[in-house]
Amino acid sequence: MDAFVALANGMAVAIQPMNMLYALIGVLLGTAVGVLPGIGPALTVALLLPVTYKLDPGGSLIMFAGIYYGGMYGGSTTAILINTPGESASMATALEGNKMAKAGRGGPALATAAIGSFVAGTIATIGLAFLAPWLVDFAVHFGPEDYFALMCVAFVTVSATFGSSPIRGLTSLFIGLTLGLVGIDKLTGQPRLAFGIPELLDGVEVTTLAVGLFAVGEALYVVSRRHHSEEKLEPVRGSLWMTKEDWQRSWKPWLRGTMFGFPIGALPAGGAEIPTFLSYSTEKRLSKHPEEFGKGAIEGVAGPEAANNASAAGTLVPLLTLGLPTSATAAMMLAGFQQYGLNPGPLLFAERPDLVWGLIASLFIANVMLLVLNLPLVGLWVKLLAIPQPWLYAGILVFATTGTIAAKPSVVELSMLAGFGVMGFLMRRFDFPIAPVVVGLILGPIAESQLRRAMSISLGDPMALLQSPMSATLLGIALIALVAPFVMQGLGRFKANED
Amino acid sequence: MTSDSGSQGSAPRRIDSAGVVIALALAALAAVLVWDASQLQSNNPYGMGPHVMPVVIAVGLGILAIGNLVEALRGNLPARESADTKAVWLILGGLALLIAIIGLGGGFIPATTALFVATATAFGRRAILADLAIGFVMTTLIYVAFSRLLTLSLPAGPLERLF
Amino acid sequence: MIPFYTRLIGAAVALTLAAASPALSQQLELKVMAPAAPGGGWDQTARAMQQALVAAGIARSVQVTNVAGAGGSVGIAQFVNGAKGDGNQMMVNGFVMVGALAMNKSPVTLEQVTPIARLTEEIQVIVVPASSPIKTAQDLAAALKADIAKVTFAGGSAGGVDHVMAALFAGAVGADAKKVNYIPFSGGGESLAAILGGKVTAGISGMSEYDGQIKSGKLRAIGVTSEKRLPGSDIPTFKEQGIDLVLANWRAVMAPPGITAEQKKTLSDAVEKMVKSDAWKEVLKQKGWDDAYLSGDAFADFLKKETVRVTDVLKSVGLVKS
Repeated sequence: MDAFVALANGMAVAIQPMNMLYALIGVLLGTAVGVLPGIGPALTVALLLPVTYKLDPGGSLIMFAGIYYGGMYGGSTTAILINTPGESASMATALEGNKMAKAGRGGPALATAAIGSFVAGTIATIGLAFLAPWLVDFAVHFGPEDYFALMCVAFVTVSATFGSSPIRGLTSLFIGLTLGLVGIDKLTGQPRLAFGIPELLDGVEVTTLAVGLFAVGEALYVVSRRHHSEEKLEPVRGSLWMTKEDWQRSWKPWLRGTMFGFPIGALPAGGAEIPTFLSYSTEKRLSKHPEEFGKGAIEGVAGPEAANNASAAGTLVPLLTLGLPTSATAAMMLAGFQQYGLNPGPLLFAERPDLVWGLIASLFIANVMLLVLNLPLVGLWVKLLAIPQPWLYAGILVFATTGTIAAKPSVVELSMLAGFGVMGFLMRRFDFPIAPVVVGLILGPIAESQLRRAMSISLGDPMALLQSPMSATLLGIALIALVAPFVMQGLGRFKANED
Repeated sequence: MTSDSGSQGSAPRRIDSAGVVIALALAALAAVLVWDASQLQSNNPYGMGPHVMPVVIAVGLGILAIGNLVEALRGNLPARESADTKAVWLILGGLALLIAIIGLGGGFIPATTALFVATATAFGRRAILADLAIGFVMTTLIYVAFSRLLTLSLPAGPLERLF
Repeated sequence: MIPFYTRLIGAAVALTLAAASPALSQQLELKVMAPAAPGGGWDQTARAMQQALVAAGIARSVQVTNVAGAGGSVGIAQFVNGAKGDGNQMMVNGFVMVGALAMNKSPVTLEQVTPIARLTEEIQVIVVPASSPIKTAQDLAAALKADIAKVTFAGGSAGGVDHVMAALFAGAVGADAKKVNYIPFSGGGESLAAILGGKVTAGISGMSEYDGQIKSGKLRAIGVTSEKRLPGSDIPTFKEQGIDLVLANWRAVMAPPGITAEQKKTLSDAVEKMVKSDAWKEVLKQKGWDDAYLSGDAFADFLKKETVRVTDVLKSVGLVKS
């Protein structure tokens, strides 16, 4: 209960009018930078951190939280409106979100993303307050073999993004896995598929691949077929705001997304991508409108956005209880604390509860600000889609390249962006799904290093994967997820026969 | 690859040459993976070396190459409409120009303006001067906003140093 | 509604302008790359520099970037390629990078960067989970001699100081250094979780990374690599436990290749000012790092000698094929 009192104290500080203003400015600045693809929330915070130095501690922490949430939401906005995921965690959002925007439902897509983030952030903050000590114990006992098993679950569910043909879906996935091999091998330090090009030692940047495949590839594809039928975009069709049905279809995905995001985010090597993919495929499986997936299903935006936000709160668990910054974002949080000469660690919660809870309360307030700022702007955002096609796509390409130029202004990186654009164009033309490539690039390397760590520990005995109860359970879930669709199909047929 | 488009899709059971090319490309990729893996040395006495995963992926790619080849020979690829290759090349030209200008130190504004104009032209605009002006104003605004106000480092050429 | 938002945008712009205005010409806007994942030693060094440079008013802003992987080989490659001739960028590096580059036959070498200064030195420690039956360095030595494969060490990237130390420890206690079962993790955070969770036998790292855990009793330190016990610490050295293992993990800061002599002087002066500032001394105290400032030609010399030494150690334990 102490936690609750402390949280309330933090809130009281955060809702002072001046601090609210700082939160608003922070959200605004964060959104402005965060909309650039390739500039994720961590980098946004890093770029704008000096701005917060000028303020008093409380205000600075609050503006910091605002920048962070603004940066995160900026990535989702571009994912939905112009099919350009700002960071890897908003890739799942682009899948359905952009389809919705094209069908004139950009408003509800943006709204469900913002509200879903808010709901997930709120629940995850409460979870942080009450479950942190228990969750961190669970997190440190999550070993390499368990991570590998978690990856297996993720890989099985990837098929949700496969589209019509399993062969073409798997081909896409394996191209992504191949790209994931590029660069220095983490465990032995040897370069793979780098061909002596130093830039390739860095590996393939997820945002470069995603922006190339999604934004550049799409522009090329649209222009190549312009002479058949000019694509007419209607910014708003039906309601700008979420309808009653939208709410009904959103609230469960919000909650389920939170359930994926928070615990996985709390794992030291969990990250935000896996929960968003898991949420996407779960929603696709559970949806009453599976036929809408791939054409703009609101569940496919609501779930991953909630998962993304909840996982961000999850990374605070190891940070605040153990002093472990497990993601770039958490490291930036650390920088926020270090402004006051504090080093988060096992003793922080006990020694400086005021600051810890002040930060958590700030995150919460910033989340509210985001909602206040962005919901009225939804109407303005979707009007962007009314820009005439030549300028719209020209603007999208300028924006997409600006992100890459800002993150890494090298000829090799930009050539990779263009190359992935061509690849995205050809894949669309020959009907290969795009998303599995990015999924392969993200999951492949994690799965490989965790498996190899597990094998090193067990001296090459594969049974180790089944000896850990967590790993065995997850592998079991993966197996069920793999087999269940076929069984369900069989049952369905059985029932149909009975009728 | 874009030239051999046509509309073979309408006649099933015909060999799809683009599909064959894709299958060959996948097989070639698999070969590259195996070759690259053979260059690695395993300096870890326990567990798996760095070459295991590339070989596993190569095997997968090989199988998928065969799968894609079968699909292509059966003509099972989805139907494709003819493509406006000129427009595609125009945008790619714009990207090449952007990379060249950045690479040669020409700066952010000229590079992105070039891409803007090329893309707008590809999408059917013919008012190049007007688009140049629009692109210039837009990219200058982006440059000033991100580089000066938000201290993001964007490449600066002669033009950008004026700000 | 609209005027309200316009005003806010105005406020935001005014605020950033205000932040950007004072004495632009005199103050530096620096980028410091930590070629490691967030949370590790280089990252902490980069962030400490950020803190001290800004607090002491030497730089107007310092931005820390993380480029993780393979003992900094990834970071230095990006640094050499991406920051060439940029007088506003620096990169933190250290012992680990020397070994990693030698081991990887990296196309990028330390000769390509411009050395600025060595900043700190940190003593290494071996820890075990609090529940482990291993109490002393001799217990660990006995376990190694009994079955070397079953003793797993978690630490930083392959060929780094932790890896070298695992091999040296094995060699010093008479086990076969080549057979050490060492499992690299990409950041301090990940390996700490593996040790706390009991997934590995022991963990190797610098003191600062595990200090909090040792003090809170979650980890037990079984030995440090210094000549004498650290001031105010009751952790025994390896030497006093009869194991000849003395090692320090130094950290330094480098500038990109191709900068002018003038740019090099600006950076060297900024670093020197920083090292002498109270803010930096405060940071060293806080983190428990030892000041090991060395600059100019003396540092360049040291770097050359250290490169030879580390490469020899790696060759002798079979990590670099000669």
